[in-house]
Amino acid sequence: MKSDQALIQLNDVSFHYIVEKKKELSVLHHISLNIFPGEYVAIIGHNGSGKSTLSKLFNGILKPSAGDVVVNGWNTKNSQLIRDIRQQVGIVFQNPDNQLIATTVEDDVAFGLENILVPAEEMESRINQALRTVGLTGMNKRAPHHLSGGQKQRLAIAGIIAMKPKCIIFDEATSMLDTYGRKEIVKVMRRLNNDGVALVTVTHYMSEVVEADRVIVIEKGKIITQGTPREVFRQKQLLQSIGLDVPIANHVAEMVHQKYQPFSSNLIDAGEVVEEVKHFTTGGVSV
Amino acid sequence: MSEEKIIEIKNLEYIYMQHTPLEHQALSGINMEVNRGECIAIIGHTGSGKSTLIQHLNGLMQPQKGKIIVDGEDLSDSNVDLKALRRKVGLVFQNPESQIFEHLIGDEVAYGPFKLGLPLNEVRKRVKWAMEMVGLSFNEMKDRPTYALSGGQKRKVALAGVLALKPEILVLDEPTAGLDPYSKNELLEKIKKLNREEKITVIFISHNLEEVSFLAHRLYVLANGKNLVDGTPNDLFSNKEILEKYKIGTPDSVDILYKLKDAGFSINPRLFDVSCVAAQIFSILSTYQRRVTDDISV
Amino acid sequence: MTSRFELTRNITIGQYIPTGSVIHQFEASLKLLSFAILVVGIAICSSYTGNLILLAFSIALFGIARIPIHYGISGIKPALPFMIILSLMQLLFYGQAAQGETTLFQFGFILITTSSVQLVIVSAMRFIEIILVSSVLTLSTSTTEMTHGLEHLLKPLKYIKFPVYEFSLIITIAIRFVPTFAMEMEKLMKAQASRGAEFGTGKWWQIVRKTKDTFPLIIPLFSSAMERAEDLILAMESRCYTPGLKRTSYRQYKIALRDFLLLIITTLFSIFIVFYKFTY
Repeated sequence: MKSDQALIQLNDVSFHYIVEKKKELSVLHHISLNIFPGEYVAIIGHNGSGKSTLSKLFNGILKPSAGDVVVNGWNTKNSQLIRDIRQQVGIVFQNPDNQLIATTVEDDVAFGLENILVPAEEMESRINQALRTVGLTGMNKRAPHHLSGGQKQRLAIAGIIAMKPKCIIFDEATSMLDTYGRKEIVKVMRRLNNDGVALVTVTHYMSEVVEADRVIVIEKGKIITQGTPREVFRQKQLLQSIGLDVPIANHVAEMVHQKYQPFSSNLIDAGEVVEEVKHFTTGGVSV
Repeated sequence: MSEEKIIEIKNLEYIYMQHTPLEHQALSGINMEVNRGECIAIIGHTGSGKSTLIQHLNGLMQPQKGKIIVDGEDLSDSNVDLKALRRKVGLVFQNPESQIFEHLIGDEVAYGPFKLGLPLNEVRKRVKWAMEMVGLSFNEMKDRPTYALSGGQKRKVALAGVLALKPEILVLDEPTAGLDPYSKNELLEKIKKLNREEKITVIFISHNLEEVSFLAHRLYVLANGKNLVDGTPNDLFSNKEILEKYKIGTPDSVDILYKLKDAGFSINPRLFDVSCVAAQIFSILSTYQRRVTDDISV
Repeated sequence: MTSRFELTRNITIGQYIPTGSVIHQFEASLKLLSFAILVVGIAICSSYTGNLILLAFSIALFGIARIPIHYGISGIKPALPFMIILSLMQLLFYGQAAQGETTLFQFGFILITTSSVQLVIVSAMRFIEIILVSSVLTLSTSTTEMTHGLEHLLKPLKYIKFPVYEFSLIITIAIRFVPTFAMEMEKLMKAQASRGAEFGTGKWWQIVRKTKDTFPLIIPLFSSAMERAEDLILAMESRCYTPGLKRTSYRQYKIALRDFLLLIITTLFSIFIVFYKFTY
């Protein structure tokens, strides 16, 4: 899935907000990380850890106070290239009501296309294709306020994928949705990733984290650990010390492991738990 | 918990924008009973009528058809004292932090009691109680500005604002939606305490089944404006057919049990607490190990 | 009773009624232009006959657009008190300016002549005509078409550096957020009412109290508006929007022959109504 050339590179990035004239609020400290084409990365961290700020650095919405963010070889500090950078890296934000611009579904998807100078003849097919990908086919003329929260969020995704980006950032994009709406979004995310789009998701939901190739844990503006979901969930004490939880399956595995050492404590979903039980109860290991 | 019914709802119906082209039936026959001191969860998809239902409980909406009786009072009666009703039934909306308008936390919590026209020292007493109930120190926090708080803290302030009315019934619309895991657990503990120790009757809407099994004595499942199923979380989560039929989803721990069952292991779906699941797995493993050792010894 | 908080629930700006009639199908910018010309015609025309024709024409438009006439009438109702006051003022004070005509009634400074009576009647008719015609326009054109039409119409202003696109974007966003804020207002009213707030119960002289009563609504609404604005800016920027830069447009202006015909016919009609010397 990965190629060697990173799509997004953060080189020793620090970021502070300027609160008053001489007062700075430091949010991120010396972060270096790469996002590769087609990769699925989850960023987790306690509220106020800086993860949301980090996600806004990826497409130049915020510029680093020190260090460089390079997208596709372009530095986000170069304002000449900002349109190209943002075409490559889109963001879906948290609140479904606050990111739709137009009064109809199709006009909203068109908004981004108009900005990147897509010729009018090409737009209709791109709009329809994007709406199909997110499952909103045929809703072209609807008004956004007549959509459910999950539909609004999928429309926001459509507005971005119509621009054919290489990477989409989901900044807590499912946190205001119900279970059903969230599942729909996760389905769309999976489909996009299978089509080769790199995804970065900032989330509280461990069930979404499990889907990722790589998990990055942020605390107080620093990366404190990263790895595959399995590697990260193994560090349960660390996660709990910063107010993060691990999947239920992992709790269960850990508890069984304490009573029966050979049972792995390193399982992250229900399927794996069942496999592990089978492993100990069928021929394989019993002798 | 007593057997005394504090809320009774019979065949409640509600139609929005009646007699217009935009007419929309939100409730089409709700039947519900809540005993004093109970904690009741309401589950259902967006559009199932949950929000419309709970707005009936404190008289924000009046029943068009059917009956609601709260603590012996029939709410379809047009002479209902709405102020008294809203004092008795505290309603906390979704994302209640968005309704905060005072500069200081103490003032925000005191808004309700002042509106009741209570004397100053009584207001102060209530504010102190409400703040402590949600885990905000009265002395430390009452003079802090509201805008500087985190999302989880703001929600506690909003909850305290309703608690300060000293309601007998507390109604919450998705109390933990959008909170991080830490604040979520903290808030759930507080609500549980209000119900179990302060004996406040609690009715809450939730999508999170873990949360439901942690808090609720009983639950109602709503769809298309009707209540379809009710029972204890145990009854519901151990009934796979119903879970699937109404697309309720399964809590993660129950999911593990069902997957084990599908793989041919015998499990008890009613014991879905994390430690119970682990214990069940351990007992599967130990019976199997015992059998293996038995085989070898024979 | 039940609808006390539902007032804001279903605000529909412009109340578009899609019947698919010819009038609905006209291209919005030329429709707007034709409308403007017609309104000018109505405003100038001062003869009885001319206004009778215009009134009949306005009513006929409803038929052509296949929109029930009661939508138009419900637009006139709220304007009635204003119309009556205006008519009275004209009747009482205009006579002095139109002396020389046949005097019908005189008492002190009040002078009523045939021409002042004509003015009153014609003004009332104009008023009704304009309300009817603009109702047809808004009922037959969706807000989206309207903003796009307006943008197209204003395009020539680009040459004097008027930010045409930004202007229409502002209108679009305003329209887009009306239902959002209406819902939010409703939720806030309910939430604060649940905490014992009362709205609209203060007497009119209790200005301080009435103002204070709105704080629990206005302050959260304002802060949420600021929050939404900030979010919206981020979302727009991240979709490559930069104010002032060149963009393409999804909406193409396909102006058909019938759109031009509409414009030409309305213009000729207006000229005829204004300049033809009717006997009455």
